[in-house]
Formats: sequence, C-alpha cells, structure tokens
Amino acid sequence: MKALVIGPGRIGCGFVGQLLRASGMKVVFAARTPALADHLNRVGQYRVRLVNGREMREITVDGVRAVPTSEFELVVEEIAKVDLIAIAVGANNLPDIAPLIAAGLRRRSTPLNVIAFENMADAGTYLRCLVTSRLPADYPIAQHGFSGALVSRAVTERLGDLSKDEPLVFVGDPPATFVVDGMGLRPPLPVIEGMLVTDNFSAWMLRKLYTFSAGHATAAYLAYLKGYHFIHTAIHDPEIRAAVLSAMSEGQRALAARYGPAVAGDESDLLEIISRFENAALNDPVARVGRDPQRKLGAEDRLVGAARLAEAVGVCPEKLALAAAAALCFDNPDDPSAAELQYEIEKDGVGPALNRISGLDMRSGVGRSIADTRNRLARGWHHGNLLLSLDRLLWTWTV
Amino acid sequence: MKIGIIMLRHPPIRISPVMPEVVRLLSEWGATVETIYPEEQLTELGEVRVANDLYILKSGTELALSLAGALHAAGAPLLNPYPTAAMMRDKIVATRILQASGVPTPETYVTAHPNHLATLIDDGPLVLKPYRGSEGRGVHVVWDADELDDVRTNAGPVFAQRYHKPEGRDHKLYCIGEQVFGVKRIWPAKTYEEKLGEPITITPELREIALCCGRAFGLELFGLDVIVSDGRPFVVDISSFPGFKGVPDAALRLADYIYAAAQRVVEGEPLLPSTGKGVSA
Repeated sequence: MKALVIGPGRIGCGFVGQLLRASGMKVVFAARTPALADHLNRVGQYRVRLVNGREMREITVDGVRAVPTSEFELVVEEIAKVDLIAIAVGANNLPDIAPLIAAGLRRRSTPLNVIAFENMADAGTYLRCLVTSRLPADYPIAQHGFSGALVSRAVTERLGDLSKDEPLVFVGDPPATFVVDGMGLRPPLPVIEGMLVTDNFSAWMLRKLYTFSAGHATAAYLAYLKGYHFIHTAIHDPEIRAAVLSAMSEGQRALAARYGPAVAGDESDLLEIISRFENAALNDPVARVGRDPQRKLGAEDRLVGAARLAEAVGVCPEKLALAAAAALCFDNPDDPSAAELQYEIEKDGVGPALNRISGLDMRSGVGRSIADTRNRLARGWHHGNLLLSLDRLLWTWTV
Repeated sequence: MKIGIIMLRHPPIRISPVMPEVVRLLSEWGATVETIYPEEQLTELGEVRVANDLYILKSGTELALSLAGALHAAGAPLLNPYPTAAMMRDKIVATRILQASGVPTPETYVTAHPNHLATLIDDGPLVLKPYRGSEGRGVHVVWDADELDDVRTNAGPVFAQRYHKPEGRDHKLYCIGEQVFGVKRIWPAKTYEEKLGEPITITPELREIALCCGRAFGLELFGLDVIVSDGRPFVVDISSFPGFKGVPDAALRLADYIYAAAQRVVEGEPLLPSTGKGVSA
C-alpha cells in the first residue's frame, strides 16, 4: 500500500505520515516548499516527539520521500499510482490542490479514497466539488471517495533546519486517533492505525467543537481576564479549571441529549481533555488560543453554538455564557478580530455587536445571559485590569 | 529550558509556600530548575559559570546578592537584574531613584550622626530604618530627640524618613510584569495569617505609582510598601522579589511569568517584554 500525503506540515508529518507508516504504508509527501521536499528526500526520515508533561517519547518515521507540488507532472504521476491520498494543507488551501488531484484522477483506472485532515465539517463534500469542477462532465467521479477526518493530536512545533541533514522533529501530544466520515469513503476502506470510521461525522465534529474547543476557548478567555499567559498555567487556577470543566460538561450534556451518550462521551473524556490542557509542551499561549473572538463567537461555533444547543435541550449554559462574555472582553491589540470587536462594542454596545456576530436575540435566552454577564464583567473590566476572583468579581484596580 | 533560582532556606516554623510551589510548577511544565542555596555551599568563584538559561534572585541575603553579581559579571540573564537588585537593597539609592521619578515618598534624610536629626524632630517624629534592612527589621519611630542617643551608628549610615500617621492598615503592592496586586496588612504583621493580609482592589493612583516604580528601576517583579496618610499615599519601601503573600494564586502567577520570561530568553528575545503590548494584561 502506498499513500500520498499532500502537505508535509505539522499535521501532515506529525500525525498523518506517522500513522500511515505505522500502518505499513509507503509514504510520499507532496510539498509546496521545494526546500522541504529536498530535505525529506535527502534525509529520508523525520521524528515525531510526543510529549505529555515530563514524559516524552520519540518516533522515527523513516522510508519517506517527497515531490514538490511545483513539479505538477511528478505529483500527478504519484496520484495515478497511490492507494490513498491524505491532505493536510489547511482548509483555505484546498482549492489550490484541487487541479492536481483532478489531473491525477484522470490517469487512474481504479477507485481512490481522498481523506482531508482539516477538522472541517464538510471537507469531503467540499473537496469533491472542487475536484469535480476541474474534470469533464462525464468523468465517473462517484467511484472515488472524498472524506474529512477529525484529528485528535495537537502538533505545535516543527524543529530543525532544512539546510542541514538532521531529521526534522515534529512536537505534539500523544493522542493517535482520528475519526473519518465513512459516508464519503469508497471500498476498499484503507486500514490505518487509529482510524475510527463513522456515519455520523457531523456529530463527531460537534463533539470536538463543543467539548475540547469550547473548553480551550473558555480557558483562554478566562485566562485573559485573570492575566495568565499560557493555557497550561490557567488550567491550574481552581476557578478557571472548574469553569472549563463546567463549560465542557454543558456542551457534553447537550450533545448527549441530541446525539446520544456514545457520541457525547462521559466525564472521563472531559478529564482527559483537561490533562491535555495541562501539557506545557504544547506551549499554548492564551493570545493564540483566544485569537479571532468574532469567529469563535459565531452562531454555530464552540461557545455560542454549544450554548444554543444546551439551551435547546434544557441544559443551562451558564459557564458557556461566561466564556462568551469573557470573549467579548478579549482586548488583544495584536489581534485584528479582537480590536474590531472592541471598537464595535464601544461604538454600538454589546447587544448589537454580539447580535451581528452570533445572530443571538439579546432579549432572551443565551443572548441575554451572555449580555448580562458581559455587563457584570464590564463594571470592573478595563484594558490591563485583572480579575482576582471570578466568583467574587474582585478586580485588581478600580476603573 | 533551564532556570536557576537563588534562594534562602527558611526554618521549618516559617511558612513560605510560594517559592516551593513555583519550583514545582515550573518543573511540572518541563523546565529544569536548579535551586541554589549560597549559604549552604562553598562556592569557588572561579568556577561560577552560566549554567542556566535564566537566573532569578529570590534570596535577600548579602551572599546571594553577591553571587547574583558574580553571575551577572559572567553574563547570566537575571530576571531581576543584579544592578537593580543592588540599588534596591540600599534604601538611600532606592529612595532617591523613586523621588527622581516623581514617586511620592516621605521626606528622607541620611547622616552618619543621629544627632543631626534632632532639629527635624521638632517638626514631628521620624522613622529610622537600617539602610540595607528588609522585612521591617530594625525599623522604629523616634518621637523624641533624646531617643537619638540610643541609635547605633556602627550599622552604617542612618536613614530617616518623616513619619506619617497611616490611615488604616498598610498597603502592600506587588507587581508581576504589568500586573499590580494590592494587599492590606496590619503592621507589624507577626503571624502568617497577618502576613497574608487581605487582597484589595486598589485605586488607579496606587496602580500608577506602582508602575512608575517599575519603570524607574526597569523591573517587573517587585513589591512596595505604601502608607496612606491624610489621603496621600507615600511609598515607604521597595523590594525586589518579595514574598507575594496575600496575592491570589501568587505561585501560579509567578510561575507563569517566569516561564514566559525563560521562553523569551531561550528564543533569543529580550528578557523584558515591551510594555503595553500583547495580552499580558
């Protein structure tokens, strides 16, 4: 079995390539950066460093090679011969690689599965559309599978110098599973270590969004209010830890009511997420995790989406609302989305700003709860001020 | 990431949980922490080398300060730089720097002969402090010129400040980066609970005073003693790396700050971040 991985970045190498090699597949990477392709061909291997607290283990991924995507014909030839394509280029870059895939498919006579590791709800459908639009109308595209995959591992760093002959090192945390949208795949299904195939991919997407991502965002926005720099620090703060756990629990209970407990998971899953937040090796700065609060306050996104679902199934989204209210205070001048949001709040008020971003009705339910909490925070909040206590709303200085 | 912390081991009866917790957290986050106790070892000066990415001077002893100076001379990055720590140790120098920066301080006098202070007492009592003292040791109020005869002069210069009757409890201000925390505490605090005091929300004026002190010394980790008298605040002491007692989640905040600083050093960035940027609040 042979796989082509398009995008030898952190997820491409640090997760996908490692699991494919562990599954006994030959792996070829298609790299946009010629120097990276050259390095992988010269060194023939890289390392994946999995770190959890003070425990560390390194896996050598050997026997790999690469082709630069600038060599269109070489990539097309690879696509014509491989048994699987895995993509990890970033959702925004999918249109750029569609012509490559389309050209490669035209050289094939056998079906092929294409899996996009982009943490995107409709990645398979989207990619299928992009590729189909570049093929003749009578091309039998239905024979090929296009699917999305949900990655569990966070890969935070690539270490090493492309000009040297030392293997690159990709640093991440240990989780080694991924969920694939089974509806998009075509037989024969690939056999890959850690792969879980589901027919309810959108529910699994929401599981990650409304538990892990909601908890991550809650930690970041409350950490900002309390003045911490890192997620691994903030999660040690008893008040933040309790709020993160509660916010994730609200999301999880909402998921359980809508999709059943098998998809939602249980408390042990939430505690495992908390332990991942504690992992300092991931080096998650609050500024990065909280980036783009407008997107993260979107109607279907981690905080408002989870809170809306919770409300719809009768779960009170108290801590999700607190996290959303804290997001409305996230005033990072280096973050254009945050700066724009603060400007809009100052100009128009919290209600109109939140309504524009999330579509929430400020007069009732989740919208009102978020606005009320934001207004309570606003009595003490000012750029540079810190919350000493979430429970008592005690600030370091008066405004 | 390797961090060296110059510390003083306290007797078991003295409760000081902050630094052990800071060390534990930094270690848990993957940093290699070397705790250095200068009083418990024989140091060959010629062997003093920079073995850590970042050093922190926590101990207030003369030997610790000198060892920090030796490391500074060897090129070690110190979170609380040696020249600043040395200036802060000397109340004469520190007070003048504060005055020059516009920080409100009581009228301050220095002399080699206590009797030179006699005429000043006609205008009110004075507070005499050991010029290299700390933690309130040796501080006393002189109400009468006769008391000056009892002042020992073999401890170096005499440092005196005008006494201002405090309104209520003393304020301790603690700075971690640009974060300023206020704690109200009785003086002198004797028990651990009294030393913890009570965290308070401070006024913008006190916050600005604290930040002004930090700018004056180029320091981000320090503490201030402030009294408020007749509605006016006076900074009566400043110290590099105090105990941060009473600051909520002090160990976590310190560890967070130190970790970020060490990371900057490891990545070749300036030790102190530029002010007013980012989300460090």
